[in-house]
Amino acid sequence: MRLGYEVFSKSIIIAHSKWLRSCKIITLKKLLYDSSYRSKLIQGLTLLLVCGIGYYFYSNVVENLHRMELPFGFDFISSTAGFDIGWSIIPYDPTMSYAWVYLVGICNTLILSALIIFFATALGFVVGIIRLSRNFLLSQCARWYVEFIRNVPLLIQIIFWFIVVFSTLPAPRGSYHLLDTFFLNNRGFYFPAPVFETNSSWTVIAALLACICSYILLKKSQIFRKRNGKRLPILYPSLIALLGFVAIIFMVTGSPLHWAVPSLQGFNFHDGFFFPTAFMAAFVAMTTYRSATIGEMVRAGIQSIDPGQLEAASAIGFSRFKTLRLIIVPQAARAILPPLINIWLTIVKESSLAVAIGFPELVSVFIQTSLNQTGRAIEIVLMVMGFYMCTSLSISYIMNRYNKRIQLQEG
Amino acid sequence: MENQQTTKSELLKFVPSPSRPPVTITYGPIGWLKKNLFGNIWNTLLTIAVFTLLFLLLKPFLEWTVLKAVWTASTRRECIDISPDGACWAGIFPWVNNLIYGLYPDTLQWRINLGIGIGILWFIPLALKKAQQKMIFSLMGVLLYPFLANYLFLGGDRSNFHYIMACAGLAYLLILYVNIILTYLNRKRVEEYLEPFLERFCRKNATRWAYLTIWMFITVIIAFILRNQTLEHVSVDAWGGLFLTLIISGVSIAMALPIGIILALGRRSEMPIIKWFSLCTIELVRSVPMITVLFMSVTMLPLFFPNTMELNKLVQVLVAVCLFAGAYMAETVRGGLQAIPRGQYDAAKSVGLGYWHTMIFIILPQALRAMIPNIVTSFISLFKDTTLVSIIGLFDIMLMARNISIDKNWLGLHSEPLVAISVLFFVFCYTMSQYSQRLEKKLNTNR
Repeated sequence: MRLGYEVFSKSIIIAHSKWLRSCKIITLKKLLYDSSYRSKLIQGLTLLLVCGIGYYFYSNVVENLHRMELPFGFDFISSTAGFDIGWSIIPYDPTMSYAWVYLVGICNTLILSALIIFFATALGFVVGIIRLSRNFLLSQCARWYVEFIRNVPLLIQIIFWFIVVFSTLPAPRGSYHLLDTFFLNNRGFYFPAPVFETNSSWTVIAALLACICSYILLKKSQIFRKRNGKRLPILYPSLIALLGFVAIIFMVTGSPLHWAVPSLQGFNFHDGFFFPTAFMAAFVAMTTYRSATIGEMVRAGIQSIDPGQLEAASAIGFSRFKTLRLIIVPQAARAILPPLINIWLTIVKESSLAVAIGFPELVSVFIQTSLNQTGRAIEIVLMVMGFYMCTSLSISYIMNRYNKRIQLQEG
Repeated sequence: MENQQTTKSELLKFVPSPSRPPVTITYGPIGWLKKNLFGNIWNTLLTIAVFTLLFLLLKPFLEWTVLKAVWTASTRRECIDISPDGACWAGIFPWVNNLIYGLYPDTLQWRINLGIGIGILWFIPLALKKAQQKMIFSLMGVLLYPFLANYLFLGGDRSNFHYIMACAGLAYLLILYVNIILTYLNRKRVEEYLEPFLERFCRKNATRWAYLTIWMFITVIIAFILRNQTLEHVSVDAWGGLFLTLIISGVSIAMALPIGIILALGRRSEMPIIKWFSLCTIELVRSVPMITVLFMSVTMLPLFFPNTMELNKLVQVLVAVCLFAGAYMAETVRGGLQAIPRGQYDAAKSVGLGYWHTMIFIILPQALRAMIPNIVTSFISLFKDTTLVSIIGLFDIMLMARNISIDKNWLGLHSEPLVAISVLFFVFCYTMSQYSQRLEKKLNTNR
């Protein structure tokens, strides 16, 4: 009986202590010294802090907007803008809505940054290669070009090109010209614009078709080369077929393309297309600025190749061109591409500096003009930041995928 | 068969192989010229072509900047009359004061000089070999110097706390220099002289208490001496020129490192909320242009605070620039953290160090030391980017230089001021970049 009681009471005590252990009593000690609880505590506090600050800001915004009688919302983008934009690549007039203004800004930003990316990369490669020249004078020229350009703030360079160079060009009457088709004066750079006629779509279709065919041919020849180890002479036939086919279609449909050459009428040029002075200044300044950076990168990339690779190439009898094509370029590309992508993203962001000289890009038309007219600070800043974020993130996503494909697959 | 015979018959008569051409000289100035400029015919042609091109480009530039330039004139008209196609440097000189100090009153400019002089004094010991505890006094510099600088630059009536902190800063600097002089004279440090007296009261940290006592004593003395001095208030609107550029870049450089370290550690943290919070902050700030962040700070930020609160433009801009610089610095620091081998973490854990001890004593010193060249590079780009504040209307050195062209005496003087400040920026940035390259080499050889 007594034994039974003892067993019973003991079992109760054990069960009780087990229960005690199993139920997690969160004491202050545990919160501070148990790492998993402590991390939860810290995260909770951070979340609380962020939410608190967010709520504080939110309540202030609501109060301020209420006081200014400005409701929050994106309804303003469908209302008429009513101001003029100096230059745009898509048609625009003041009766259009703010949404269209946003689009105009985006298009202007994109065309500016696309041109800068293309020319800066090309010029950067040239600078980088010149920098590695064995000729002392030439390589020093490249070196000081890079040093001078990258150690002076970009904004000063943009303003310098705008005020000192492009604004002091002669008036349209005395403009510099090349073969009477390209004109450069203090209003901008004028060049012939293509004018497509009704039948031109056939040529476009033909060109697309030819491209697809040559791509298929290329793949086939690669497969053939893998199977038989021989190289099919593919380049010239496909090139001739491509060009010839497109040219024949172009002729047959009656040459549906001509160039509208700019011509001086009165005080200004008509026909053709033009980039305004601000565009040219921003373009030249940013192209040279970034070409210096890219040049340094290209130099570092080429220098990172092991000299043993070149010796190996010459040992198996590769010609200089073949060494360049098969040994240097693929390996240098691996080192250059990741920082190059970063620079391209920087260029897209940096093109917003053109606002300083009044080029109508996104920041200028939206954050400056539209914000001044509507007063919708939060919505407009969010829209502009959203655009830049989307562009940056999508370019970096695409390029990182491509980068992963060409990187050396090790292990 | 036939072939062999012919070779044999040739072997019979001895024909000496033609001797090799003499070795081309590759030493001395002539050898250097031959090797680097006139190696072969193409190289020679190239050298000549580049030389002519350089000559054609540099000659007009040299003429404009030096040979035909005007150094003394009172108006631009006069400049043009003297030499129509030379630079008019005369226009810069009357504006030099404004370019450096902005619209700061002339009689009070000694305050800026003094403040910046103290700032330089504070960081000189970093370069001295015998100076001890460099981490501590640079940290103290970051903590105390702002009070002192604020007191000098802004002036006006300050709170007591502010006043005491500024005096404490001065006292700290004084002790620092006395200590350095004593170390160079191979004497004991100041606090070690006082140590025997204090050992009676507190055995444990007598040196530390001695130091604190001296510091407080000197602080009180300085506060007593300066009690009647009141500095005239100078509004932030009058700040400008190189002074403003240095303020913005200095503050953002000082703030970028701590913000960057915290964000980088947060990004590598194992706590999901903190990790995502820092990741989002870094990526959001890095994916937008700096100019939009600046515009955000002047157009959107005022809406986030109650309208009774008065914000000034400089503070708004400083917040934006610090945030921006911090996000970029975070990526630099992260690069350094990733380069630390895993064994370092394991070793720290095995001797029982917690997270913060591991980070402060093991990981961060190594990561930051390896990243010094990159950190200097981001400082350079930050320094160049401070010119962007002119777009939102702060009178930094660039906007000041642009203003020369609307002075009625120097109307239309555009290019000379721009060239002048370009040269200034070039000198600053080039020195810094050379310094970082030297550091990089030094660090590489130390390994």
